Amino acid sequence: MSQRIFGVVLLVASIGLALSAWGYQAPFSYEPVGPRAYPLLLLSLLALGGIYLLVKPASAHAVSNEPPLDRHVVRKVTTCVVLLVIYAAVFELLGFIPASTVFAIGMARLYGGSWRASVIAGLLLGVGMYLLFDKLLDVPLPLGILSSLEI
Amino acid sequence: MDTFGYLGQGFGVALSPYNLLTALCGTFIGTIVGLLPGLGPINGVALLIPIAFALGLPPETALILLAAVYLGCEYGGRISSILLNIPGEASAVVTAFDGYPLAQQGKAGVALSISAWSSFVGGLMATTGVVLFAPLLAKWAVAFGPAEYFVLMIFAIVCLAGMAGDKPVKTAIAACIGLFLSCIGIDANSGVYRFTFGSLGLADGIQFVVLVLGLFSVSEILVLLERTHHGEQAVKASGRMLFNVKEMMFVLATNIRSGIAGFVIGVLPGAGATLASAVTYMSEKRLASKDNKFGNGDLRGLAAPETANSASACGSMVPMLTLGIPGSGTTAVMIGALTLYNITPGPLLFQNQPEIVWGLIASLFVANTMLIVMNIPLIKFFTKILAVPYWALVPAIAIITSIGVYAVHATTFDLFLMTGIGVAGYILRKMDFPLSAILLGFILGGLMEQNLRRALSISNGDLGILFSSPITWVVWAMVVGMIALPIWRTYRRRAERRAEDAAA
Amino acid sequence: MKLTLQTLFFSATCALFAGQALADEPRRPECIAPAAPGGGFDLTCKLAQSALVQEKLLSSPMRVTYMPGGIGAVAYNAVVAQRPADEGTITAFSSGSLLNLAQGKFGRFDESAVKWLAAVGTSYGAIAVRADSPYKTLDDLLAAIKKNPGSVVIGAGGTVGSQDWMQTAMVAKAGGIDPKQMRYVAMEGGGELATALLGGHIQVASTDIADSVPHVEAGDMRILAVLADKRLPGETVSEIPTAKEQGYDVEWPVIRGFYVGPKVTDEAYAWWKDAFDKLLASDDFKKLREDRELYPFAMTGDELDAYVKERVAHYRGMAKEFGLTQ
Repeated sequence: MSQRIFGVVLLVASIGLALSAWGYQAPFSYEPVGPRAYPLLLLSLLALGGIYLLVKPASAHAVSNEPPLDRHVVRKVTTCVVLLVIYAAVFELLGFIPASTVFAIGMARLYGGSWRASVIAGLLLGVGMYLLFDKLLDVPLPLGILSSLEI
Repeated sequence: MDTFGYLGQGFGVALSPYNLLTALCGTFIGTIVGLLPGLGPINGVALLIPIAFALGLPPETALILLAAVYLGCEYGGRISSILLNIPGEASAVVTAFDGYPLAQQGKAGVALSISAWSSFVGGLMATTGVVLFAPLLAKWAVAFGPAEYFVLMIFAIVCLAGMAGDKPVKTAIAACIGLFLSCIGIDANSGVYRFTFGSLGLADGIQFVVLVLGLFSVSEILVLLERTHHGEQAVKASGRMLFNVKEMMFVLATNIRSGIAGFVIGVLPGAGATLASAVTYMSEKRLASKDNKFGNGDLRGLAAPETANSASACGSMVPMLTLGIPGSGTTAVMIGALTLYNITPGPLLFQNQPEIVWGLIASLFVANTMLIVMNIPLIKFFTKILAVPYWALVPAIAIITSIGVYAVHATTFDLFLMTGIGVAGYILRKMDFPLSAILLGFILGGLMEQNLRRALSISNGDLGILFSSPITWVVWAMVVGMIALPIWRTYRRRAERRAEDAAA
Repeated sequence: MKLTLQTLFFSATCALFAGQALADEPRRPECIAPAAPGGGFDLTCKLAQSALVQEKLLSSPMRVTYMPGGIGAVAYNAVVAQRPADEGTITAFSSGSLLNLAQGKFGRFDESAVKWLAAVGTSYGAIAVRADSPYKTLDDLLAAIKKNPGSVVIGAGGTVGSQDWMQTAMVAKAGGIDPKQMRYVAMEGGGELATALLGGHIQVASTDIADSVPHVEAGDMRILAVLADKRLPGETVSEIPTAKEQGYDVEWPVIRGFYVGPKVTDEAYAWWKDAFDKLLASDDFKKLREDRELYPFAMTGDELDAYVKERVAHYRGMAKEFGLTQ
């Protein structure tokens, strides 16, 4: 079933993207191919792939070595994704250290750490990674709400 | 003075205690930077240039430092690939194909040591190549025009088809997704923004790091979550830390072939280490007998990309030194560093400042040797990563990955994009699509489309340009060979069986 | 150990006093290079970074942040929308950014969205051929194109509408050739372009003087014309004729400079302007600039603001004229 759903999604997405690709034209260009031929070619191949999955999903069924999903796993995976999204949202807003600390505590809890261990890991990671990357490796990271602390 | 005289002089420069110490620092920093997902040789080199300048290092020392960092990064990138299935940088993606299965089988130590050995062999072969053939290869590098690159990409795609295995349709779909993703962003030929939907974050397309880390790191984090849920600890480090002679001999032929191929591809300014590692992996898989374990922990599958990737890193020095043309993103940064020292890379460099060129080449030998000497004892230490419990390891991976992605544009847009790609990658992985095909499609796609269009604008639409030079003929012949080899093998096997049947 | 602590304490005190002496110095100075490491923007930032410290205008060196995307579009939007009041941040720009700004490729913001701070140097466009090319002058080249536009393939490091394209189109137009008739191939960056020219895949490269001079010195390339108003100083460079002296009135300076966010206070802006004024007047800076193959172009404050706006308006007119925008 999931194969069929994916086939439909692929087909619809390809058609939608192809429609928007139709308008890609340079004001003028020097080459015979142009900017839209290649994406259109690939999108039609992808649409064919979608149709194939839709019509013959069983043939695409190989033995999967991934463990099957159950409800608990799905819930955990969703939580993890939500954590990642929140992390991205507050990365600059709160600044790297607070955002990472909170994020790391949440992740550590999710991956089976005790509260104590998670809080310690979170604090160590938040501050440690800042020092490692911003100070040592010269990757500028946002300070956010802590920006008044640094001279 | 002849080549070897100069080289001896170069060793004199590289082996001075001060420069040796610099090379040691460089290899160490490089290994660490390469190990961190998202940070690659470009970051390592860019990080050290201002420091080298501020410390007032003389130009040859600064160059030695940068070369050591460059090679160190290529070494470091494989560590997280093998141990965690998370490539530390783009060229280490292929390393994970067989490296991670080996680690899962408890052979992390062997995998790390054989890959270090392969890197060493690759680097050694390529540096020798630089010494012997640099001026000759300069001609080869510029002989590759758009038409030649396009045919080379066709060759790579044919190699890619060898990955398909038992799920050809899914592999094809995944590769097409990758090829498609490569056309997002500004079109280099016409300047039209494609599929950006008004988002400036996509203006330059999906950044390679974002795709790699989304597909591999984020989806791996989610897979690890399942494993924790089921109470498994995936990988254990046990057994030998070092490969034995039998294993070394087993990969020797692969080392040599991949070293040559990696060097030749590395010399081409438009190709790079990732392409080198992918092509050699795929052709080794094709060449291997039917009962190979490629994808399930074949040592040759680990040796091929590792040899190729360090050979290509050394190879990319050729166009930089002889022509002043950057052979890779990293050498582009190095050229920037050279200008700070008022050194202009190019043909005149060999005449005017031979001590710098040969000092650099000698330091490639030195750094390479230093890396293997330093890396083998460190394997024990690296495998300790596997003993870290998930609740500490996974948040660390997630944060490092996020920093790597943030560092690309210094905007949070990429963090969202990475998460989105990661979720899509996780779903595709659950549905048994090979994620590596997406990635390789992405690498090849941009080069293929742009070079075809460039070639056709040069010839004004005449397809004859794709068959117009000896190089294109050779590459086309390789394409035919790659397609014919498996067919011929099947045919021969059938013929043998028929002969057996007839005999029985 | 004791010694280290003492040293630490001592340097901390020094830093504190230094901080007090220059009370106006912005905290966490940062330069955004709107490109990947290694390019021209990186060079511009590094120039300011080393010069400001060398001239003791900043006590701690600026950080360099890379923000690639759309020749500055991503950085422009980030500065205007996300950190408009960030006093310590200056962002590098070039004529290429202004050209894209004029073509509406910078999103919803226009040229008055930021405060233009200082221009620190300039480079010039150049038309180069391989050393063994039959074309010795611009006249030769343009005559050949006129005779058979398809016979000469012109390569450049940017797309249609980029500065490399624009300068070629202007030269073509000055020679009475419709830019649409040229045979043009877009490469990605100077490296690819040089490879294609040296390999004979293209016949002409529309490039930058700094990028091509090393190849000229090596004897691989010849520059037919530099797009400056008069001949440039320097050993090799002074021998290169300008397009003007060959009778084609085309100039293409590529200036490099910095802007700050729109909500940066006037005091902070004045501090930066003052710092750059001092910098641009110093001899050490001159040397640093020359090391990076940039030619003099010093302009700050209101003067630069007026210049930028004039340029953008000019580019806008050109883009319309060439049919790039409606």
